Amino acid sequence: MDPRNFTYMFYGFLAAWLILAAYVAALAGRERRLQRRLDSLKRLLEDKEKGAR
Amino acid sequence: MTAPAGPSALESAVEPAVRRPAGFLRSALTVALKDLRAELRTKDALNASLAFSVVILLLFSFAFDPSVEETRALAGGLLWLVFAFAGALVWNRSFARELPNDCLEGLLAAPISGAALYAGKAAANWLLLMAVELAGLAVFGVFYNTAWTSRFWPLLGVLALGTWAMTVVGTLFSALTVNLRLRELMLPLLVYPMLIPALLAAIQLTGPLALGQPAPAEVLVWLRLLGAFDIIFTALSLALVEAVLVG
Amino acid sequence: MRGKTLIVLCGLAAALLARNLYVMLLELPDEAAQGPIFRIIFFHVPAAWTAFLAFLGAAGASLLYLLRKDLRYDAFAVALTEVGLAFAAANLATGMIWGRIIWGIWWTWDPRLTSMLVCWVLYAGYLTLRHAVEEPGQRARVAAVVSILACVDVPIVFFSIRWWRTQHPQPVVWGGGSMDPAYWNMLFLNWIPLLLLGAVLTALRMRQESWQREIEGLRRRAHAL
Repeated sequence: MDPRNFTYMFYGFLAAWLILAAYVAALAGRERRLQRRLDSLKRLLEDKEKGAR
Repeated sequence: MTAPAGPSALESAVEPAVRRPAGFLRSALTVALKDLRAELRTKDALNASLAFSVVILLLFSFAFDPSVEETRALAGGLLWLVFAFAGALVWNRSFARELPNDCLEGLLAAPISGAALYAGKAAANWLLLMAVELAGLAVFGVFYNTAWTSRFWPLLGVLALGTWAMTVVGTLFSALTVNLRLRELMLPLLVYPMLIPALLAAIQLTGPLALGQPAPAEVLVWLRLLGAFDIIFTALSLALVEAVLVG
Repeated sequence: MRGKTLIVLCGLAAALLARNLYVMLLELPDEAAQGPIFRIIFFHVPAAWTAFLAFLGAAGASLLYLLRKDLRYDAFAVALTEVGLAFAAANLATGMIWGRIIWGIWWTWDPRLTSMLVCWVLYAGYLTLRHAVEEPGQRARVAAVVSILACVDVPIVFFSIRWWRTQHPQPVVWGGGSMDPAYWNMLFLNWIPLLLLGAVLTALRMRQESWQREIEGLRRRAHAL
């Protein structure tokens, strides 16, 4: 039996979770970006509405 | 460039339809004839894809030495890659040619179904691509010294089925991507992976036939696959094209 | 409320996963022929199932979008596709690591591997296409058609490559034969946390799509002012 058998099992587990973690990180990054954009737009609209009044 | 052909062909499609709704086949035929007439006037797509096929065949002759027997075993694959590349040039123009002068709006407003419009365009593309493929096959026969004419009719049948598979998918995506800014890039990116089963079957069948050898033993499996692909994707495309064009 | 449900689901997934890891590493014996590496199957196969389920769901949501023209179905479709791609990538990566030990090679053009790769390329194309279209209605329409076509195409790819491969000598033979029921149990048990995780990620991704729509709406209002 290949001596790397046992280590590669862990590499396999690690690879699966790293890929999913990378996706979660990408998701979190987009979440922050969207939140920031939403906040700045809301502030902008408030300012503009105040200015219009 | 199609402005002169567009309106006149449109009128002929509209006129009888005002009296009674044109049948599916009839309107599809009108669209196909209009497309072929417009293409034969300018020969834009035809010239481009023909020249492109010859250039690719020339390049292949440097990548794979044409005089050795191993290269001839790759014949099917080489040919269908050339056909697929040439096809992309034809599909790219198919709906894009209707963009100037708002011809596409006119076609959609005409009393024909989106499915008939699509079927007509697919038929025209199929004929054009078949012509390019036969010319490419002749060039291939000379460059690679193959006896492809000895199995001409079975080869033509395989070409017809394989080209239809490429055309239904290619034309549908031509309609899908017509308004996108990255149209020329998006089309091959989406079409080629989807065509893998059809290309695989066509390559298996064309390989021996293009060399003048008898069809492979498992010919029925590949014909069935090709036929099933044609039927499934023709049905799906006809069902979905209305949503693509009209929304 | 919504956020709390997601956190609870996440916690449930983590607890199940911890329990499964304990059992599969310490209680289940090594597989007789393949040794410890065989345990990769507990992530490899459920990841593929999750991915296929996600793609199937995406095609269903796409069809619903075309019928009802509600952008929420489009959001569901894109969320499912992205999550499906992540799980498909996990499946491919674990498969390659497994193959390196058992077959001695990272990759072989066997029907399963090839069709998973084609599937991945098709849905990556779907996401690329979405980036190229700006108008939300048109983007949803175009993407929906691609999703449905891709979903039909993948099984055809699988069968065509299987026919192709049976014409040639097989480079590797999948260790045929039956698997012990204890392994089967673990396979399904480990699918549950992956499914939960997939559901949570899909919900998060869908919420982002609704924010995106809100941002577009606010932008239009800002322009109007």
